[in-house]
Amino acid sequence: MVTVKLFGTLRLESGVKELTAEAVSVRALYPLILAEIRKQKPDSGITEKTLKCCQVAVNGKQVTPQAKLRDGDTVYLFPAVAGG
Amino acid sequence: MTNYCGYMGKVLLLDLAARTTENYIWTDLDREKYIGGKAMASKILYDNLTGAEKPFDSENLIVIATGPLTGTGAPSSNRFDISSLSPLTGITSSSNCGGNFGFYLKKAGLDALIIRGKCETLSWLEIDNGEFIFHNAQELRDLKCGETQAALQEKLNAEHGKKVSCGMICIGPAGENLVRFASVISGERAAGRAGMGAVFGSKNLKGITAAGDAIPSIYDREGAAAHRKKWVNDIRRHPLTGEQLPKMGTAGLVSSMQVHGLLSTRNYGKGQFEQFEAVSGEALAEELTAANSGCLSCPIRCTRRVPVDGKTVKGPELETLGLLGGNIENDNLEQICRWNYELDELGMDTISTAGTVAWAMEASEKGLWKNGLRFGETKDLSKIFDDIAHRRGIGAELAEGSKRLSEKYGGKDFAIQSKGMELAAYEPRRAVGQGLGYAVANRGGCHLNGGYLVVLEGLGMNVNGQTPHGKADLCMVMQDLMEAISCGGQCLFTSYGAVPAFMVRNPNGILQRVINAVVPFTGPAVRIYNKIPEIACFNIPLIPYPTELRYTTGMKLSLGEFIRIGERSYNVERAVNARFGVSAANDKLPKRLTDTLQDPGNPKTRVPLEQMKRTYYRARGWGKNGLPGEKKLRRLGIR
Repeated sequence: MVTVKLFGTLRLESGVKELTAEAVSVRALYPLILAEIRKQKPDSGITEKTLKCCQVAVNGKQVTPQAKLRDGDTVYLFPAVAGG
Repeated sequence: MTNYCGYMGKVLLLDLAARTTENYIWTDLDREKYIGGKAMASKILYDNLTGAEKPFDSENLIVIATGPLTGTGAPSSNRFDISSLSPLTGITSSSNCGGNFGFYLKKAGLDALIIRGKCETLSWLEIDNGEFIFHNAQELRDLKCGETQAALQEKLNAEHGKKVSCGMICIGPAGENLVRFASVISGERAAGRAGMGAVFGSKNLKGITAAGDAIPSIYDREGAAAHRKKWVNDIRRHPLTGEQLPKMGTAGLVSSMQVHGLLSTRNYGKGQFEQFEAVSGEALAEELTAANSGCLSCPIRCTRRVPVDGKTVKGPELETLGLLGGNIENDNLEQICRWNYELDELGMDTISTAGTVAWAMEASEKGLWKNGLRFGETKDLSKIFDDIAHRRGIGAELAEGSKRLSEKYGGKDFAIQSKGMELAAYEPRRAVGQGLGYAVANRGGCHLNGGYLVVLEGLGMNVNGQTPHGKADLCMVMQDLMEAISCGGQCLFTSYGAVPAFMVRNPNGILQRVINAVVPFTGPAVRIYNKIPEIACFNIPLIPYPTELRYTTGMKLSLGEFIRIGERSYNVERAVNARFGVSAANDKLPKRLTDTLQDPGNPKTRVPLEQMKRTYYRARGWGKNGLPGEKKLRRLGIR
């Protein structure tokens, strides 16, 4: 079981802050996250492509979407941001 | 007078002691070379300061400058600039503000106002259609910025027998008490950095109001309207300026910075804050943001509105969230919103205040200075801030800033400042180009004046932040571009449009990953461009500023000529600072950032500053002393 946290505009638009899921890789998470988003906000307009375009971090470190997951991992998904 | 549109054609020199004004000669050739704003102010300081002046001397000048786009309706063009000798750094510095004063200064008929001398007693100044009226401000003494502006508006209304539409700037108690990082406030916006408020205080100048009926002309009204319409559409479609900034403001960076190890934590001891979610942009948006708002003529609208004491006020930016959050080990978001409001009301820079307090907490922990401050124990900070503004108790010492305190008590290695100015919230050991920028920035530890390479190194793009390769040349081109944009009077946030949207939307794509990987190796090519920017004898839609200037002013500029103006601006500021003793030796960072690894297991997690500095000076065509020589200044037409 891994914990997934959404950040940035992805979180604001999806209405999903956090979920838990069973997945062996980041890629395998996408359909599960999307299902949760569709449950929370069916008209959010978020697609699997939106999720694939996000930056990913596992346990606080940036990884590629190909990264494998282990039980207990925490996954962050966030779109790009600008500055101040 | 001027043949260019957009400008009011008038720059005035005001002597506060003699209460006289005279026209300051600023020709169309000067406009072509410097455009306006910060570059114009730097040239005026270059022409008038000898190097002998001190920030609180009456001979010190304040230059309040607008750009030709200010008040013309161009996107995000409401900026104005306050430049002077900084009491925090002892060198010239500028502070840019989005308040409405610039717009009204132009309505009053002025492009820029140069102030010298000192009022005999605390005064405020009314500018009405180019006329100057001095008023006694004794009864405004110690009033906070909101109260001061309300009082000034009331006085103007009473004097004119009607509601006066005007812009204003003022200082709070911090400026009156010469706190070295006191800000100048316009509405709710701050010219926050470098202690410009203290210079106002030293001149007994509590505030200035500006009103008038003048309107800047537009060279090609139809062309400008069409260009702006397209530009605004582009801004609204871009993922950074059309989605992230309007929806989350700069606060949206906190989470991304956490992941990249860029979030200043425990006085920059670390780059990640365990409780970051509590003080993130997401928390601010979900729990506290009542609405977003923006400066005049801005389609981005990045400001958060948050509740404090039953009022809805301007919310904290990323810098304040980082520095009053993880950097002092505080996870109370409501408290940060309150402090942000209180500091603006006291007229004090949130970045330098927070940076100085973080240093004091560590100095206390290390037994260097017994001041009672502790990381994570923050319930009394409102009182500490008030004490700083009034120079009471330990506040009197904190009002000096971290550099001076570390010289007195020890702890220079962890005084997170450069040239005396405290750094913003980006921890540079994971974005070494940003570290170079902090060190070489003309005004001191400023994230923007340093070129803001962190936007490439993990935020907007995903370029390797641990490699020094290419960073010096990229730093130069980014600095020059941002200088030029600022000169016109526009907000730097419009420049995110220059980061191609496809790079931002999908950082995981193959092409995007290839580009991110290649960027550090573009140094030599960028160097060639930096040497001869005029090879870009055209304009491109990604950088629409020269085209906007042409439609508004009639000034014909290619992209290359526009960048060259930025370079000229950067060099003239450097040249005047050289008179005040700046050289390569001042372009430095505290040892914590250059010698201590952020991750002890990763030797790359430090800023390899000296290596990048040498390349940077070569890129700039400066000597090993970090200064432009006579030949360089002549080539740029400065001398």
